[in-house]
Amino acid sequence: MSQGPSPAAELPPSHCLPGRAAALAAAFIAWRRGSPGRGPALRALSRARRQVRPGRGDSTVNCTAEVLYHLGNKNAAPDVQFTIEGELKNTDEADNLFYNRIKSLKNELVAENVPDSYGNVPPEMEPIRALAWAASGYVIWQISTENTKYQLAQIKHVKQVKRSDEYLEFDYKILLHENVSQEIIPWQMTVLWHPQHGTEVTQNSRQPQHV
Amino acid sequence: MNMKLMIEQGQVWLYNRIVQMKHSVQIYPHPSWIICTKMWLFLGMTFSLGILIPGKLSLNLQYDGDQVLHIVPETFQQVQHLQHLCSTSMLDLWKPQLPEDIQAGEDLHIRVPAPLVQEVKDSLDQHMISYKVLIHDVQELVDESMPKQRSHRQIPEGYNYTEYHPMEEIYKWMTQIQESNSELVTQHHLGKTIENRTIYYLQISQPSNKPKKIIWMDCGIHAREWISPAFCQWFVKEILQNYKSDAMIRRFLQNLDLYILPVLNVDGYIYSWEAERLWRKNRSPYMNGTCYGTDLNRNFNSSWGSVGVSYNCTSEIFCGSGPESEPETRAVAQFIEKKKTDILCYLTIHSYGQYILTPYGSTTTPPSNNEELMHVAQKAAAALMGKHGTSYKVGSTSSILYSNSGSSRDWAHMIGIPFSYTFELRDNGTHAFTLPSDQIQPTCEETMLAVTTIIDYVDQKYFPGGAVMLTSGSLSLSLCLSVVFTWIAS
Repeated sequence: MSQGPSPAAELPPSHCLPGRAAALAAAFIAWRRGSPGRGPALRALSRARRQVRPGRGDSTVNCTAEVLYHLGNKNAAPDVQFTIEGELKNTDEADNLFYNRIKSLKNELVAENVPDSYGNVPPEMEPIRALAWAASGYVIWQISTENTKYQLAQIKHVKQVKRSDEYLEFDYKILLHENVSQEIIPWQMTVLWHPQHGTEVTQNSRQPQHV
Repeated sequence: MNMKLMIEQGQVWLYNRIVQMKHSVQIYPHPSWIICTKMWLFLGMTFSLGILIPGKLSLNLQYDGDQVLHIVPETFQQVQHLQHLCSTSMLDLWKPQLPEDIQAGEDLHIRVPAPLVQEVKDSLDQHMISYKVLIHDVQELVDESMPKQRSHRQIPEGYNYTEYHPMEEIYKWMTQIQESNSELVTQHHLGKTIENRTIYYLQISQPSNKPKKIIWMDCGIHAREWISPAFCQWFVKEILQNYKSDAMIRRFLQNLDLYILPVLNVDGYIYSWEAERLWRKNRSPYMNGTCYGTDLNRNFNSSWGSVGVSYNCTSEIFCGSGPESEPETRAVAQFIEKKKTDILCYLTIHSYGQYILTPYGSTTTPPSNNEELMHVAQKAAAALMGKHGTSYKVGSTSSILYSNSGSSRDWAHMIGIPFSYTFELRDNGTHAFTLPSDQIQPTCEETMLAVTTIIDYVDQKYFPGGAVMLTSGSLSLSLCLSVVFTWIAS
C-alpha cells in the first residue's frame, strides 16, 4: 500500500484510509462535542447500524465527516467537516455536577493510570477520562496525517491546577497509541474547561519516550 | 429454626462481607484477593437470597438507594425512639439483631429502604439523634462485588474466565486443565523464551484410530493484548464443556485435533503485568542491554524486513536481527514446519480493532485461495455479529490495515497452510488494549462463534463423509417405510 488512490476513486469502507480518516474525524468531533459528561465513542464506519455499547443503553447517532489531508504541507492539520444526524444527548446536568464537584474540592484532584491495567475506571474518574478524550481529540487532529491512526490509550497522570477564575484546569500526561507504527507516544496537554465555554487545549507537547 | 432468623443470619454475614469488601477496596489489594473476596460474597449472597420467603421476594433483590445508618444512642429516650422506629417502620436491623437489644452507648446499624431514607433521617433529626451514613447505596456495593452470572460449570472448578490472569495462574490452569480432562487434553513443551521460560501448548485430541488433521491457534504474541490469552483460555473451556453435547464440536473433533497456545510471548506478557502495561514485544536484549524487544509478529520468515518494520530496536515494530532471530519465533516456526502437511488452519489472535484479516500484509498480491478465504471470513464475521451486534471488518492486512512483513499469519500461508487468519478482537479504540474485564465474556462468546464457523467449514470441506452417510441413511429409512406400507396395504 505505497500510493494513495486516484482522487476520484471510491474506496470501500474497509480500506485502511477511510479507517484512519474516520478515527481522525471521531477525534475531531470528540474535541468539538465532547465534555466530562459525554464519554468516547466511535462505532462501525459508514454503516447505519444500531449498536448498543455493552452495559449502557445509549443508542448510536450517525455522523458523516469529510476529511481533507494536506498532502503538500505535512505541518498543516487536516480539514474536518462533520454533520451529526439528530441530537446528541444533553450533558448539561452531568457537566454541571462535575464542575461543582471539582470546584468544591479542598485539595487539587490528582490521579494516575486511568484506566488501570484491567481497563477499570472508577465512576468518579469517568468525567476526567471523558475530558481527556475530548482534549486529546484536539491533539490527534493537529498531529494526524494520512499515514497515522491515533487513539488515546491511557491517562498516565492528571493533576488539577487551581484557578481563581471560573475555568477548570487540568494538566494531563497521556499515552497515545499510533496504530501504524504501533508506537505508544507520551504527550502532555494543559486543558481548560467550562460547562458553557467547552474544552480548550492551551498547551501540548510530545514527551520523551520513557526509557 | 425459623425463616426470619435464617434471613437475618444471612444478612448479617453478607453485611460483614460488604464492610470487609468496602475496606479491601480502599486499600487496593492484589487482584486475586478481590477475586477471593468476591467469591465469598457470592456465596454469602446465594446463602441469604436462597432462602427468601417464597412469593414475597424474588431472587433478584434490589437494594437501590438503600442506606445503612450508624447510630450510637446516647439516652434511654433515644433508645426507645429507635426501637419504636425499627418496629413500626419495618427497618432492617443489622446490629444488634433485635430491637430489644438496642442500648445506649452501643453501635446501632440499620438498613433503611430507599423510600424511607428521608423520613427516617427527619425523624432522627427531630429527636436530636445524630447518625452517620455507613453505606450510601447498598445495591452499588453488592453489584461491585458480585461476580458475573455464569451458566456453565467452571473447568477447572473456581477458575474465573471473565478476569485477566497473570502468567503464573495460566501455567497452573494449563496443568489443571490437563489433569481434569486427561482423556482429551495433553500439555506440551513448545520451546523456551529468551528469558528461559517455558512455552506450552495444549492439544485437544479425541482418541481415535483414524489420522487427524490439525487446527492451530495461538494467542498472546503481543504482550499488551490481554484479551487474546483470555480468549484462548475461554476457547479451551468451551470445547471441553460442550464436546459431548454440541453436535458441531463432536463432529469436527472426530477429524481434527486442536492445538492451542494460550500465551506465545510469555516474557512480554509478564512484563506487561509487572512493569509496563502497554509493552508489545518480547524481552530480547539488544545494543548491550540498552534496548529491549523484537516484535515477534515482524520476525517470521515471510518477506522478512521488507515493509512495515523498523530496524531500530527502540521501535515497537523492530523486526529483530534476522528472520526467526527470536527463540519464541523459532519455537512456533519449527513446530509448524514439522507438522505443516497436517495443519489445515492457522489462527493467530490479537487486539484491538475488530478485524478478521486474510493474507497478506507484505504484499497486495492476493493469495491463491483468496476468494474462499474471504468467503469463510465473512461467514465468520456474520456469525460473530449475530451474538452481540459487534461489527468486524474483513479483508487482507495490506488493504485494510497497513503493510507489514514477517507476520506469523503470512508465513503460515506461504508454507502452505490454506486457511490462515489473524483476528483483531475488541474494541475499536475506546478502551484499546485495556479492555475492561466485563467485556471478556461477550468478546469471547462472539469470537467463539467466528472461530467455530471457520473450523466447521474446514471440517466439512476436508471431511465431507458425514453428509453422505446421512443421505444414505435417510434413503434406507424411506425404503424401509415404503416396504412396510406396501405390505400393510396389500
